[in-house]
Amino acid sequence: MENERAREKLIKWAVKSPLTYRLLRPVLDLLTRKNDNEPFKIWVRFLLDAMNNSYARKQPVVWMSAFTPSEIAYGMGYVPFMPEIIASVVTYLGKSKGPIALANAYASSDLCSFHRCALGLVMEDYLPKPDLIISSSYLCEGANKFFHYLASYYRCPHLMVDAPYRGGSAAKKYVADQLKELVDKSSRLLGLVPDMSVMSQALELSNKARAYIAEINRLRRSRPSPFPGSEGLSYLAGMVFYSLGSKWGVDFFKTLHLSLEQKVAKGEGYLPEEKYRLLWLHHIRPYYKNEIFKILEEKKAAVSFEETNYLYWPALEPSKPYESLADKIISNIWAGSLERRVHAIEEMVEEYDIDGVIHFSHWGCRQSCGGAAVVGDVLKQKGLPYIVLPGDGADPDNFSPGQTRTRLEALIEMLG
Amino acid sequence: MGKRIYAGIDIGSLSSEAVILGENGILGYSVRNTGADPQRVAQECMEEALARANVAKEDVLSIVATGYGRIRVPFADREITEITCHAKGAHFLFPETRTVIDIGGQDSKVITLDERGAVTDFAMNDRCAAGTGRFLEVMATALETKLSELGQRSLEAKKGVPISSMCTVFAESEVISLIAEGKRREEIMRGLHEAISSRVYRMAKKLRVKKEITFTGGVAKNQGIVKVLEVLFKMPVNVPDEPQIVGALGAALYARSAGPRAR
Repeated sequence: MENERAREKLIKWAVKSPLTYRLLRPVLDLLTRKNDNEPFKIWVRFLLDAMNNSYARKQPVVWMSAFTPSEIAYGMGYVPFMPEIIASVVTYLGKSKGPIALANAYASSDLCSFHRCALGLVMEDYLPKPDLIISSSYLCEGANKFFHYLASYYRCPHLMVDAPYRGGSAAKKYVADQLKELVDKSSRLLGLVPDMSVMSQALELSNKARAYIAEINRLRRSRPSPFPGSEGLSYLAGMVFYSLGSKWGVDFFKTLHLSLEQKVAKGEGYLPEEKYRLLWLHHIRPYYKNEIFKILEEKKAAVSFEETNYLYWPALEPSKPYESLADKIISNIWAGSLERRVHAIEEMVEEYDIDGVIHFSHWGCRQSCGGAAVVGDVLKQKGLPYIVLPGDGADPDNFSPGQTRTRLEALIEMLG
Repeated sequence: MGKRIYAGIDIGSLSSEAVILGENGILGYSVRNTGADPQRVAQECMEEALARANVAKEDVLSIVATGYGRIRVPFADREITEITCHAKGAHFLFPETRTVIDIGGQDSKVITLDERGAVTDFAMNDRCAAGTGRFLEVMATALETKLSELGQRSLEAKKGVPISSMCTVFAESEVISLIAEGKRREEIMRGLHEAISSRVYRMAKKLRVKKEITFTGGVAKNQGIVKVLEVLFKMPVNVPDEPQIVGALGAALYARSAGPRAR
């Protein structure tokens, strides 16, 4: 018992020490020197750097919900910390069950398991304390309440960006005004003077990354599919949420672009043989050990694209940060009316020459699963096989391997 | 020219079935409880079906496995999901079938199919065993009656007692409370059947249900549920003579259409 306590104490100390992440970097570089997945290695280095900065606390640490543009934090010189992304990494490392079990004693089991995982980590005091929390009302309504609770837990300020249901110029102004207020308020609260040249620079970096994302998405139309959807839903999506506005983002997307260009030029697919091309709907997949993508691979079905990587926002204008980021926010296809999302999905089906569609239905997630039936109706009318795949992104106890296999295999059998 | 004999085996969560198929139809079949060892029951099921068909194992040209335990049948040549197999089997027995309702031991499915028997869409229950064969088994025990008598006895009730919970555990407590309140058991049985049927009906509403409907799986033996489904869907429901073997039959049909295994 004593040993166990001492071990836990040591692990917590290591997790919270910036030194751990600085030491891990050369160790991982050495261990992965033969791994030629350069983009993945950048993701790992980016995470280590983010953790180092978050625990070192040399700049204000600002917790952000995943859908809040990270450009704001980089433009303000804050260290963004995204608990939802960290929860997915913790899940990937096979460590989500403990924090989720702990959080279940305090939160409804209907709360998203990524939030419960993060809550458990908060309660166990594993995460860096926030100086400020920023969240957005889109896409995830639950996130606002979750972050609001965390703000009271940590006794730190919480600022929120509210996005209206419909777009248009009035909506843009409404959001742009809030962003300006957010910048003013946060700098006042943290005792900083905003430097708008740094903000412009963040937007320029975001634009550079965006240009590579557009090219990556174009290359992913190739047959055979050059990039695995399982990775599109993990570190690629993670970088879209977490790195835009930083040099890391540019480096990552530039490297991924180069790697895909080479693969496409050689006609290399990520599967040994590709018979079917699938589209994955929803932002996430289960990150704990599971066989979803192995089953699909056995059936020669490639996940050619994921809607989470759809490039929905126009290029930003560095001289107009508030208006530009407001544009990005209100362009989000998952916010507002379902028609916009459905049109984007139809476009993806066309562009990526999709044979079948999987809509992952994450437990407790209303924002996307609420529309799953409508999306299905539209796609089925086009004669496209479509399944809703119920599951849980972070909680391995809420996953049914047998039913999942049956649904996936039945989808493939429908493809003929 | 040798005999053209094929086999299908369906390893379900509660029961397993094997069908031996000749050129002119079913030669023999077997139904057994799955138990804890799906591999052993698969072997026993196959041997029993072969014996009943009076066919030697060597004469079977190909075997397709289906059901949740399909990946645990070492002697199968191919695996196909029960969704695809139930559609095929139901279409073979009732060629005008365009919708299949399959309620098995631990899950329920609604499947739509085309005029060739190929699946066009499906919906299935998620995670829990509410409203399935296992659910009925637990309720039969709570009602101190045989599972095979539930259907017939429920038809004796003029109305059903509403059952609010479909969770197997909570519904069992609810049934025990209703018995204690003095409700007629037949009315409770009918209430249970109405609850199960309306759950299936709601699932079916996600799809484009077309006639004819064929009801497969062990629960199709329950006449009480068949009657309630016919009222809800406003059309007659086909029930095969042996609804439990439809998945295995579909598997055997796929074995036959694929031809002999490569040697």
